[in-house]
Amino acid sequence: MQRVISRKVCMLGTFGVGKTSLVRRFVYNRFDEKYLSTIGVQISQKQLPPLQKGDSDEFVQYKFILWDLAHIEKFDSMIKNYFRGAHGAFVVFDLTRPDTLQTYSSFLDPFLQTNPNSKIIFIGNKIDLIESPDEELQQLEKIAACFKAPFFTTSAKTGENVEKMFIKMGGIFIED
Amino acid sequence: MKIKSSEQIFEKIMREQHIAFALFNQDLTLESCSSNFYKVLDVEESEDNVLWTFFPELIGNEECIDSLLGGNQRRLHLEQISRFKESGDLSYYNLTLSPLKNSGKNDYSLICIVSDVTSKTLLQQQLQQQRNDIELLRASLIHYHQHGTYKIIGKSRKIREIRNFIDKISNIRNTTILIQGESGTGKNLVARGLHYSSIFKDKPFIEVNCAAIPENLLEAELFGYEKGAFTNAVQSKRGLIEEADEGTIFLDEISEMPFSLQAKLLSVIETKSFRRLGSTQLHHVKLRIIAATNRDLKKAVENKEFRQDLYFRINVVMLELPPLRDLDDDILEIADLFLQSFVYDFGKKIKGFSKEAKEKLMAYNWPGNVRELRNVIERAVIFTENDFIQPENIILSEFQTPTSSQKEHDALDLPANGLSLYEMEKRMITQALERSNYNQTKAANLLGISLDTLRYRIKKYKLE
Repeated sequence: MQRVISRKVCMLGTFGVGKTSLVRRFVYNRFDEKYLSTIGVQISQKQLPPLQKGDSDEFVQYKFILWDLAHIEKFDSMIKNYFRGAHGAFVVFDLTRPDTLQTYSSFLDPFLQTNPNSKIIFIGNKIDLIESPDEELQQLEKIAACFKAPFFTTSAKTGENVEKMFIKMGGIFIED
Repeated sequence: MKIKSSEQIFEKIMREQHIAFALFNQDLTLESCSSNFYKVLDVEESEDNVLWTFFPELIGNEECIDSLLGGNQRRLHLEQISRFKESGDLSYYNLTLSPLKNSGKNDYSLICIVSDVTSKTLLQQQLQQQRNDIELLRASLIHYHQHGTYKIIGKSRKIREIRNFIDKISNIRNTTILIQGESGTGKNLVARGLHYSSIFKDKPFIEVNCAAIPENLLEAELFGYEKGAFTNAVQSKRGLIEEADEGTIFLDEISEMPFSLQAKLLSVIETKSFRRLGSTQLHHVKLRIIAATNRDLKKAVENKEFRQDLYFRINVVMLELPPLRDLDDDILEIADLFLQSFVYDFGKKIKGFSKEAKEKLMAYNWPGNVRELRNVIERAVIFTENDFIQPENIILSEFQTPTSSQKEHDALDLPANGLSLYEMEKRMITQALERSNYNQTKAANLLGISLDTLRYRIKKYKLE
């Protein structure tokens, strides 16, 4: 038996960390070197492959409604409308910009206030640009541990771990 | 004058302002809409007339919509939602949902007002883009400085040795390092790599090009001066050595440093202290000195152009950077990196190098090394209109430095006691055969003679 369930998932992170690129890689399997800043919100949809629910015969297929949100400078009621009803979020960092690992609370806190039961996965993107990311990984691990959330290092450019991060989110939904 | 109906005026205003509306009933099925609704949303009319078909953006806001339909919430507003039009362009619109009371108690319809805000948003996007680009450039500059070693790309043995060298030596502060290599081989990059891979990477990295600063200014620049030390010294100034305290000072083209200053630099290296010009006070510094030159310093010492004691003092650890022509396939990897960078800078859509272009890059001997390669690729990217860079887009310099074998050839001077040409020729042919694994065609190429000539000489010297 198989069901298709829609899930709203937000992409959070400061500008230029690669939120749009991750969505593009996942949805269209494309990557563009040129950076184009997102304004407002871009919504894309993609259906995940069927996932088995535990040991049962039941399979669930998730359709992700991906809300790729622009960098949020200040939180207001409008942003709350963007966040509202989200079942999960990817918090994306740019591993080449350590400062992006420090400013997540400005958007993650209001997101979790709006959706307290939402699932979070932390993403360290642009891993292809770092040869030995030990320091950055430690920091990413530390942040993820604070929220008891999983984390991935990804590259939208090479596609490394991009599919995995979305499948992982599906896996978390199914366990819930 | 006949006044138009208010409905007509309303439609006109909506068209002019790119606003449309649609009314949905309690089942969230479309009841009615303005005549421009489909056009503003850029969607086709279909039988599936439910709210979610028109506005997938509202998925996730089900609770909110229930609340609106129950009259418990005044409105839901979403701004700057973007969609790809059929043309591939992005359009942006604002969406407002609001309950509209019908005749019955607690009977509400849902009015959705859509306004196309594409032009305004695109302007905003351009502004935002510029701001973000500046920030990203600044960040990438910091990243570049901090991860200099990672820009030393390549898989060849020589490049791996350089990376190992940096790993081993980067955290040792007290040892002076000498980097030698032809112009354009990346001495500056390695010096930065050494500094930014070290535990004192947050301390200053000061670069001084000894050839670029006039001789009479170099001393003041390096050591600083006190007010009144010389005419025009109206206030005291810290020198570059002082600025580099706790960090690294990189003395590029050290061979060009005036002889008189070399003694002073030697003293700094030995005592880790110096005096500003016009001062008696001794300043102590803790810094690493990296020196670089493209000249053979040993020869400069022999020619009395460089102090021998300073040469021994800075030549504690020496790194010789290989010329680009000795880096085999790394040439293509480095060329590809430059290509990607320039493609991005110039907004081109070049995918790579054609096979023939790659062959041309590999065949050239790059007298100007990486610097020359960079310039060649930049020029090629500017003028290439195809998907792939072709050999004709690669314009190479007419100046060629001798290859290693040419240099060896040049080094074959006639010894003072003379030699046996017969023996010499025999030895050369034997060596060429050994080096080419007895492939006669390759051996003939190495010797610059025809295959027939080689065969004749093999026979002559009984080398079969």
